[in-house]
Amino acid sequence: MKRLSRRQVLAAGAAAGAASAFGLRPALAQSDYPTRPITLICPWGAGGGTDATARIIAALLEKDLGQPVNVVNRTGGSGVVGHSAIATAQPDGYTLGIITVEITMMHHQGLTELGPKDYTPLALMNEDPPGIQVKADSPYKTVVELMDAIKSKPAGTFKASGTGQGGIWHLALVGWLMAMGLKPDHVPWVPSNGAAPAMQDLAAGGVDIVTCSVPEAKAMIDAGKARSLAVMAPRRNEAFPDVPTLKEAAGIDYSTGAWRGIAAPKGLPAEIASKLTASLKKAYESKEFKDFMTARGFGMVWGDGDEFAKYMDESDAKMAAAMTAAGLAKKA
Amino acid sequence: MSNAILQAFSLVFDPYVLWVCLASAVFGMFVGAMPGLTATMATALLVPVTFFMDPVPAIGAIVTATAMAIFAGDIPAAMMRIPGTPASAAYADESYLMGRKGLIDRALGANLVFSAVGGLFGVAILIVAAPMLAEVALNFSSFEYFWLAGLGLTCATFIAQADPLKGFISLLLGLAIATIGIDPAAGHPRFTFGSVELLQGISFIPAMIGLFAISELLRGVVTIGQAGEMLVQQVGNVFRGIGSVWRKYWRNFLRGSLIGTGIGALPGAGADIAAWISYAVSKRFSKEPEKYGTGHLEGIVEATSANNASVGAAWIPALVFGIPGDSITAIVIGVLYMKNMNPGPSVFLQNPQLIYAVFTIFILANLLMLPIGWTAIKLAKLTLRTPRNILLPIILLFCIVGAFAMTNSVYGIIIMLCLGILGWLLEENGFPIGPVILGMVLGELFEQNFMTSMIKSDGSLLAFFERPIAGTLGVLTLALWAYMLTRNLWKRQPAPQG
Amino acid sequence: MRTNDAISGLILIAASLFMIYLTLDFPDFPGQKYGPALFPRILGAALILCGGILIVRGLSARRVGGPWVELADWTRDPRRLASFVMLPVLILIYILTSDQIGFIPLAFGILLLLFLWFGTRVVLAVPIAAIATWVMYWFFAVMLRVPLPRGILNNIL
Repeated sequence: MKRLSRRQVLAAGAAAGAASAFGLRPALAQSDYPTRPITLICPWGAGGGTDATARIIAALLEKDLGQPVNVVNRTGGSGVVGHSAIATAQPDGYTLGIITVEITMMHHQGLTELGPKDYTPLALMNEDPPGIQVKADSPYKTVVELMDAIKSKPAGTFKASGTGQGGIWHLALVGWLMAMGLKPDHVPWVPSNGAAPAMQDLAAGGVDIVTCSVPEAKAMIDAGKARSLAVMAPRRNEAFPDVPTLKEAAGIDYSTGAWRGIAAPKGLPAEIASKLTASLKKAYESKEFKDFMTARGFGMVWGDGDEFAKYMDESDAKMAAAMTAAGLAKKA
Repeated sequence: MSNAILQAFSLVFDPYVLWVCLASAVFGMFVGAMPGLTATMATALLVPVTFFMDPVPAIGAIVTATAMAIFAGDIPAAMMRIPGTPASAAYADESYLMGRKGLIDRALGANLVFSAVGGLFGVAILIVAAPMLAEVALNFSSFEYFWLAGLGLTCATFIAQADPLKGFISLLLGLAIATIGIDPAAGHPRFTFGSVELLQGISFIPAMIGLFAISELLRGVVTIGQAGEMLVQQVGNVFRGIGSVWRKYWRNFLRGSLIGTGIGALPGAGADIAAWISYAVSKRFSKEPEKYGTGHLEGIVEATSANNASVGAAWIPALVFGIPGDSITAIVIGVLYMKNMNPGPSVFLQNPQLIYAVFTIFILANLLMLPIGWTAIKLAKLTLRTPRNILLPIILLFCIVGAFAMTNSVYGIIIMLCLGILGWLLEENGFPIGPVILGMVLGELFEQNFMTSMIKSDGSLLAFFERPIAGTLGVLTLALWAYMLTRNLWKRQPAPQG
Repeated sequence: MRTNDAISGLILIAASLFMIYLTLDFPDFPGQKYGPALFPRILGAALILCGGILIVRGLSARRVGGPWVELADWTRDPRRLASFVMLPVLILIYILTSDQIGFIPLAFGILLLLFLWFGTRVVLAVPIAAIATWVMYWFFAVMLRVPLPRGILNNIL
């Protein structure tokens, strides 16, 4: 019995060797996946929120799958570089990536051809709605006061910032303005190199409004340099229970958000995909992940592969509408 | 308060914490000395490890690793003309030339000692004046940053050596290279010819490896097998003669540390910019500026103090407001949140012992730098005894891996190759390389803040002078330009050499 | 290879004109008269100016007898010229083939070739190339988790 099984093992080994020599690796890879280190591509730089999220997910996946999971930063080009590195990798389960809301936006801008359809979605892990932040000593105490002031003053009086031109927080502003019945450029956008410099500029008095997510604004709010008036979300943020939703405060039913999820290149074998999704689900439910997300104030949302795909399609349609309105979309 | 300090000491002087600090020091030393791996990368690699630690060892690991990495970047700069981290680029040429003159011990000794005391200076300021400085730094908007970048570019004209025209052309080339990729304001791709890789722009570190190291290798290979190829290295102690250096250049140390601390405290400007500006300032106010660029110690002392001082200073806005001073402290803040040590004014009240523990670790790290740095230099010097026909191929491979590590793709190697050939051509024709690098460092900061300010002011240039700090910086910059132009017109009579 | 400043100047001007030409189809910011094209155009104009001064300087140097192009001595020694060309070519080979072949065999090959070319004895060259490759792989790929290409390793391990 023992001898037989050993011979079987040997035979299997020889077959595997032969198979690999003839380039038949995927067949072998599926049965005992993973057999070698996995790469998790992060389209954003070390130090940011997406990088931190990727690193904790990688650490948890590594524990579950028993193979090293390396986070590799492929940054630049407003996320295009990393996203295309994920999409163009071999769909063998050894290259995954953390994809972000930008994948539903960049192709409308004509920066890339890539869209949500170019990936095998594995799991949606996080969503952060934008808040409306003003300087701490701003005269506007509620979002209604601010909205009245925006409406009554001429276009261009207020300036807003939060990310680059056509970035997610710019679209949040555009959506909010249009929900108020104003033109999308009534409050001009001052492009910035991310949320942190925008908040710094807000505190220094350079801009009037910043529409980045509340966790990104947290540091300045805690430091007493800024205030958050409302969030553009269906629910309040648990970490900031005092900040009302836009609907509660002003009766405007507008919500949007930035999200992060894990995906693989298109064409990943279903067997590997379901193994990864199961492993990601375990990571999502782990105490470490929860502690991490609450500590940073990141919103937790779960969606498996199919739900994630549907979610991305909805997000894509919403972005298309906002970007066309703002005149940011190239003819798609 | 004294109670909290005692508590901090017992937190830090725990065998486990000390062991973690020592291990991270060695780790940081290695990462910093490897081209292509920056202090930021060292910190990011440490983050998953710190998940499983208590707050004090977690912070200790990051503090020691980054302090070491910023110094360690000086070692390959002096030995192989490869700055290990961007912070060493400003004086890489200068210390390499010292090495060629056989003064490698002096150069590295000064790098080590002044890195350590510069670091201590930054920490001292962090301890004494953190809240006040942070308050000032927070008032910087795009107008102030624009002038800061403008001041930095003005400094480049100070750095320009023999031929100001060619120095200026190099600077313009650097700025032009920096415009490749997605533009910082409108998000429009520029000069990318439809390539996805070019969208990320010309990555700085592979470019630096190419401009400095590959061009040097190209010059080096043709002399292999020639007489007199082995450099005579003095076999000595890196600490010898430091006392006299100290007596001669203590003013440079003080000024460099002050500039480094000030720039480090600004969110978004870090050790690399601190080194450039202090090097230029040093040359401007030196009694013997003609010696700069020939392997002269003065500028090295000033810039190496500045970049290490900025490491501690970057923690000022980070601890006081939770606002990162550079990309390293951005990661640190994330770790602090994880450990329920939310940075901000309240952390000084709620957890003073942790803050004092951070300070203690900072002091410890800078002291630890001396023995560990000494060992690292000893080990690295072994490489210089290697014959060049073995050393050169290994350096080449080192460059390839380093350039790859930065972008995690062969794109980095392509940049390195192209800019290496460009750098070789430039130097052959008398164009200095330093200003190219500076243009690349400051290009985006300069353009982005100019565009943002223009949008904010609806195109009015007056707005650049309306805010008090911006106005002061602006007038200062313009005055410097006016001074230089009139001085050059005055000295017009002796025609520039061709 | 030292060229006359006039040639450098001409190249600069040509490159700047090309750069400015490329900026022609950049869009302006919505509602403003400037955009991403502004900064490159300023740089281009400044470079053209500097190029002009270089040409003037180069021509006056030419009048006192300076050559158009001056080649260094080593370019006349075929062996040293080959050493010079070899570096970029080897880097190029690494760029083109590293994904398929992988870091370890390529690095070993490049090192061995260069060692032998520069006259190291075989008994020394082989072990040094092997050790250097292994140390670099271990440090960068294993310890620091840099994803060095595995190439043919994928089929073995």
